[in-house]
Amino acid sequence: MSTDSVPTSGASVAGADSPGPAPAPSTTTGQDMPRSVSVLVFMRDRGIFVLWGLLIVAFAFWCSPYFFKVDNAILIANAAALTALFAAGVGIGIMTGVLDLSLPGTAAVASCVCGWVLTHGHATWLGLAAGLGAGVVVGLVNGLITIRGFNPIIVTIGTLSVLSGLAAVIAGGYTFPGLTQLEFMGTHRYLKVGDSFSGIPAPVFIVAAVFIVGTVFLTRTRDGIRLMAVGANAEAVRRAGIHADRYRVLGFVISGVLGALGGLVATANVTEANPNASPAIIFTALTAVALAGVALTGGRGSLPRVLVGALILATISNGLTIRGIQPYWATVCTGALLLGSLAFERVLQTAVSERLMAANLSVHQKKV
Amino acid sequence: MTTTGTPALDLQGIEMHYGFVRALDGIDIHVNAGEVVALLGDNGAGKSTLLKVMSGAHRPSGGTIRVRGEEKSFHAPSDAADAGIQMVYQDLSLVEPQDIAINLNLGQEKLRRGPLGWLGFVDRKEMRRSSEKELDRLGVRTAPMTRPVEMLSGGQRQVVALARSAIRVNGESQGILLLDEPTAALGYEQTKNVEALIRRMADQGIAIVVVTHDLPLCYEVADRIVILNRGKKVADLAAAGADRDHIVGWITGSRPSMFETAGA
Ligand SMILES: Nc1ncnc2c1ncn2[C@@H]1O[C@H](COP(=O)(O)OP(=O)(O)OP(=O)(O)O)[C@@H](O)[C@H]1O
Ligand SMILES: [Mg+2]
Repeated sequence: MSTDSVPTSGASVAGADSPGPAPAPSTTTGQDMPRSVSVLVFMRDRGIFVLWGLLIVAFAFWCSPYFFKVDNAILIANAAALTALFAAGVGIGIMTGVLDLSLPGTAAVASCVCGWVLTHGHATWLGLAAGLGAGVVVGLVNGLITIRGFNPIIVTIGTLSVLSGLAAVIAGGYTFPGLTQLEFMGTHRYLKVGDSFSGIPAPVFIVAAVFIVGTVFLTRTRDGIRLMAVGANAEAVRRAGIHADRYRVLGFVISGVLGALGGLVATANVTEANPNASPAIIFTALTAVALAGVALTGGRGSLPRVLVGALILATISNGLTIRGIQPYWATVCTGALLLGSLAFERVLQTAVSERLMAANLSVHQKKV
Repeated sequence: MTTTGTPALDLQGIEMHYGFVRALDGIDIHVNAGEVVALLGDNGAGKSTLLKVMSGAHRPSGGTIRVRGEEKSFHAPSDAADAGIQMVYQDLSLVEPQDIAINLNLGQEKLRRGPLGWLGFVDRKEMRRSSEKELDRLGVRTAPMTRPVEMLSGGQRQVVALARSAIRVNGESQGILLLDEPTAALGYEQTKNVEALIRRMADQGIAIVVVTHDLPLCYEVADRIVILNRGKKVADLAAAGADRDHIVGWITGSRPSMFETAGA
């Protein structure tokens, strides 16, 4: 993403160290960033894509011939879809400066609201709109409480608790089964080609749309860029004359809508609305987000990497399942991978800094 | 230099508390169009707090603010910006992960033409181009526009923060510019450039308040000197001919206030 990558061409590390008058235009002593630094920076920003590639190659050999197949790829994509939706919600929240822990509750309420509307004989679109609307309302409530100066983590823990209770109230202590009208966005497959290609499941399309729209929004549009800026330094954005609080609320609303969407897709997958809010959702999503290297301090990170984070989790559990390894080993693996990626990032960061320093020094020596 | 008549910015009896800490105690201060006022004082004297009250970042607990004679109450920095007030904060208030062009344009982003613009798409190229032109016009230079602020040196950041406010206030016919230690991180040459920039902007009729610990700079650019000590104004005098030892005395508190001693 253009916001977190380092311009490698024409950006001289050492030559531009003197802000001063520009008597003659372009007197910059331009010098390219050392090659090794560009490579390291690339590894830092795109390392997760490389990691995913390596995993695929490894599993392709280890789980041959079952793993490296179109059908299996679709399975992985479908398995990653739910995690990816929640990870997008958590990720956008963190990038914009809020950790929204109420997502499982939002998902449960959205799913039950939709279930209620559908079982009371209303149109499908109305049920979906009501579910997403519930997400908007939750986001607004979270946001409006938080901008009064309360800690977002505590606030969303509170709303999580309220929402899980509310979902059960809406469902009257039961579930809403038999919501077959939602199949079109659940298990249904599109783009089928005769017998040769069984089609792509609906959630994959939804995830693709969410990530494309989200990425374009956060990097290309005014509101998206401001949202990211608020995540990095809300007070600075306020001092620049922007109503920063509105953007903090917007961050919560987006996160709420994505949580609701995740709940609706989960409901569609099993054609049943369940009021149980599972906190595991948030931890899986956080794992994907952390793998993507999204800094918890906010203002940094990119959605495509979050998507790959979710895909890596799904790839590992798929590969291990094919080999017949117990599923709990998958969580051991992802945990170890996460810790490993932290160490990797630290090493890369130090290497980059060292090289930049060395480059600066050598230029100064040349000048003397 | 000083134009008489209504001051561009006029504060009367400003009080400001942080909890139980009384940071400002009945401050009266004004600055005229085209005038440079240097605000001096020891660490913790309340200089930044006073500037933040002027810029709308803080709401004072008491007192009135007048902009060109009109009483105002600022609820947010955007209100002050609407009144033509821009400030360079001591902490610079930049968005570290974003590049220089975005930081310079924050709040005034240029949108693309046509349907994409209606959807809120920004025109990064145009922002880079126009920012570069504005920087040239100000006579300051920093790193390439695409460089994220977190990769800049302290001095380069300071130039970006200064340029952002200067660009915005330059567009105003009767702007007010507040600078909180604008040269703290700058070397000799850059400090001279900033001095010249401050003088140039004042000559265009912009009212400027500059906080600094740099006495030579203060003599170089200021028309008037205001000194704070522990939240109180202790001196307000013309810069020309001001005695250096007296100023240092007021800053450290060893010299009694210009205002209280008259009676005491
Ligand atoms: N956010 C805050 N919360 C509580 N007290 C504060 C806060 N900011 C400043 N103060 C207090 O207010 C007083 C004035 O602070 P201020 O920042 O205005 O000083 P200053 O004159 O700008 O000092 P310096 O030269 O070090 O920048 C100090 O006693 C400081 O401790
Ligand atoms: Mg200060």
